[in-house]
Amino acid sequence: MTSQRADCGNLELRSQSCEQNLLSRPDGSATYCQGDTSVIVAVYGPAEVKQSKEFLDKATLEVIFKPKVGIPGCSEKFQERLIRNTCETIVLTALHPRSSINIIIQVMHNAGSLLSCCVNSTCMALLDAGLPMSCLVAAVTCSLSCDGDIILDPTSQQEKEAKAILTFVFESRDNEIITSNTHGIYSIKQYYSCVEACRKYGFVSCQSPLGTTNTVEQ
Amino acid sequence: MAADFKTAQPVEYYRQFLKKDVRPDGRELGEIRSTIVNIGSISTAEGSALVKLGNTTVICGIKAELCTPTNDEPKKGFVVPNVDLPPLCSPRFRPGPPSEQAQVVSQFIADVLKDSKMVNHEDLCIAEGKIVWVLYCDMMCLDYDGNVIDACIISLLAALRNVALPSIEVDEETAKPKLTSSTSSTMTVQSLPVSTSFAIFDNSILIADPTNEEENLATGVVTVVTNECGELCALHKPGGSSLSESQIQECVKRSFSRGDEIRKLLDETFNSLDR
Amino acid sequence: MAGIELLSDQGFRADGRRPHELRKIRCRMGVFRQADGSAYIEQGNTKVLATVYGPHEITGGRSKALHDKVLLNCQYSMATFSTGERKTRPKGDRRSQEMSMNLRRTFQAAILTHLYPRSQIDIYVQVLQSDGGNYCACVNAATLAVIDAGIPMRDYVCACTSSLLEDTPVVDISYLEESVGSPEMVVALLPKSEQIVLFQQNSRLHVDNLEKVLDMGIKGCTDVYGILDQSVREHVTEVSNLMMST
Repeated sequence: MTSQRADCGNLELRSQSCEQNLLSRPDGSATYCQGDTSVIVAVYGPAEVKQSKEFLDKATLEVIFKPKVGIPGCSEKFQERLIRNTCETIVLTALHPRSSINIIIQVMHNAGSLLSCCVNSTCMALLDAGLPMSCLVAAVTCSLSCDGDIILDPTSQQEKEAKAILTFVFESRDNEIITSNTHGIYSIKQYYSCVEACRKYGFVSCQSPLGTTNTVEQ
Repeated sequence: MAADFKTAQPVEYYRQFLKKDVRPDGRELGEIRSTIVNIGSISTAEGSALVKLGNTTVICGIKAELCTPTNDEPKKGFVVPNVDLPPLCSPRFRPGPPSEQAQVVSQFIADVLKDSKMVNHEDLCIAEGKIVWVLYCDMMCLDYDGNVIDACIISLLAALRNVALPSIEVDEETAKPKLTSSTSSTMTVQSLPVSTSFAIFDNSILIADPTNEEENLATGVVTVVTNECGELCALHKPGGSSLSESQIQECVKRSFSRGDEIRKLLDETFNSLDR
Repeated sequence: MAGIELLSDQGFRADGRRPHELRKIRCRMGVFRQADGSAYIEQGNTKVLATVYGPHEITGGRSKALHDKVLLNCQYSMATFSTGERKTRPKGDRRSQEMSMNLRRTFQAAILTHLYPRSQIDIYVQVLQSDGGNYCACVNAATLAVIDAGIPMRDYVCACTSSLLEDTPVVDISYLEESVGSPEMVVALLPKSEQIVLFQQNSRLHVDNLEKVLDMGIKGCTDVYGILDQSVREHVTEVSNLMMST
């Protein structure tokens, strides 16, 4: 019943592309495309911070998630928190105490695997802004079909048909999971096989984040 | 003396305890605070439950209302969960619109409710395409001492099992709903998800059921939601220190045993009510 | 209202009480750890929770600070599931705002505000289940919570409702008695000095009856005072025993 993707197999990622530094006003910006899913991210900072939000020992990191249409609600706040926590883990905020780092994520088009696209895009934008980071991150989404098949980087149609959708964020040092977000019901065994399937690709893109950009664009 | 040390060096204070595999409140690392459930305490609500997890207190009240279903799904009713963290429960919340924390917890509970298929939405149908039930599940935190997610999910589960809906029929002539009998029917809850949260301390040590203090000092948190069939409904880890596979395995294992404990506790509580 | 007899020939009310009888009051102090003071009160089926934070630094803008007394911040809210019909706005609607303001004024009269200049005290009350006399239960709960927080007050503040049913003054009216349109009188009293700090009256009442209804309300307040005082004493004994034993 699962729809087969035309461009590639189910255990491969869709074609990825990334462009950095395309906006002139922000300190760093990047757009990331996974298949038809596309997100643009702008990073401002380190800059001055409002006194009420100031931390004495680290920078204040804020994430604003803008959906393609409509006004942001609870689920956007949830995504914001997820991405903010992920960024706080990798950005060395202690190097910029009493300052702010703002990350604005604008969804351009959602054709599945939105969360992973947002995280990847944010990582590239942070890189472009030249903020010190302890490591890089790579996010991969996968879905489990009703018969238990794993589909990497699913499209929206595949997400709709899926029994469960899992997104993982891996760091580049030891390739361990730093973020895990799941929807749907699955067994622990399936969870691990998803982690393994995703890790393989997380590793590749983490190894050469700029490399992937270039090769795919060519 | 100990209090001064705690204020000046909270992380070091905790380390000294954790070195000896014990926490300042006397718990072991994997030990969860005592859980108390009180069911049906609010008589104005169709279903209610009060849950105490150590000091953390959450009350869940469910109100049922009638509404028209959507055209796409004419047989399906609605369940609307909402988590309120009022300034009453902790000095960290200010009066005004819902805090970010409240919105994040609300969304997580809504996801769990949907993913675990707790309620069969078709059970809430009265007349297809005309009238269905909408259940407003309001969870309010009364005392915020960490790990609200777990307390909220237990309270929601207990309150949903406590819901008694009056029997209603649509009058053929006037097309208006009317009460058929004064007896009310309890609702069946299809799946019983229970969540267990862990905090990661110093990038390596896992502690179950963190208090507010522990949450603030932690370098990361993980929440695992399991159901009664031995399946996972969510493994939520929003950033923070990375975890190895064996650590995740440990969390999942603890979560399954915790799930069984809570389901047993709820069964016992409901049985004592019936008697 | 046909069918419902609010006062029987034998002088009993719909819930079996005599006219001067209060509903059963159950209260507990120090129920929560996060707050500096907290209390829970049940007056019949009305259930209210109150917590007090402070005195602490002013939050949200220094400009609000008062140089000669404490800033009192009160918030009254009703849980969405507290009433028969679901409340869509648990707080911030006009009714709650009015209640919050009344609460602030009541406690401004009772708390020794001049002791904490440039500071703030928060009183939050939450109605969990409503069955008439919400405001009174809130005042009584808040009094206990303020005492639990150890904030000095001139006196307890005790509040009680009263009404007139078929020419008989009755005390502590329930939702049923409230909703039939009988006059409702709310009195908040400092019982030792018998000073009234809040007095509110809804719907029509003949001036000849005013005094006897008011007397009934005041009597209700003094009765409430007795119960609150006893529970405070019990709580303090319990706490001191605990401290002695450790």
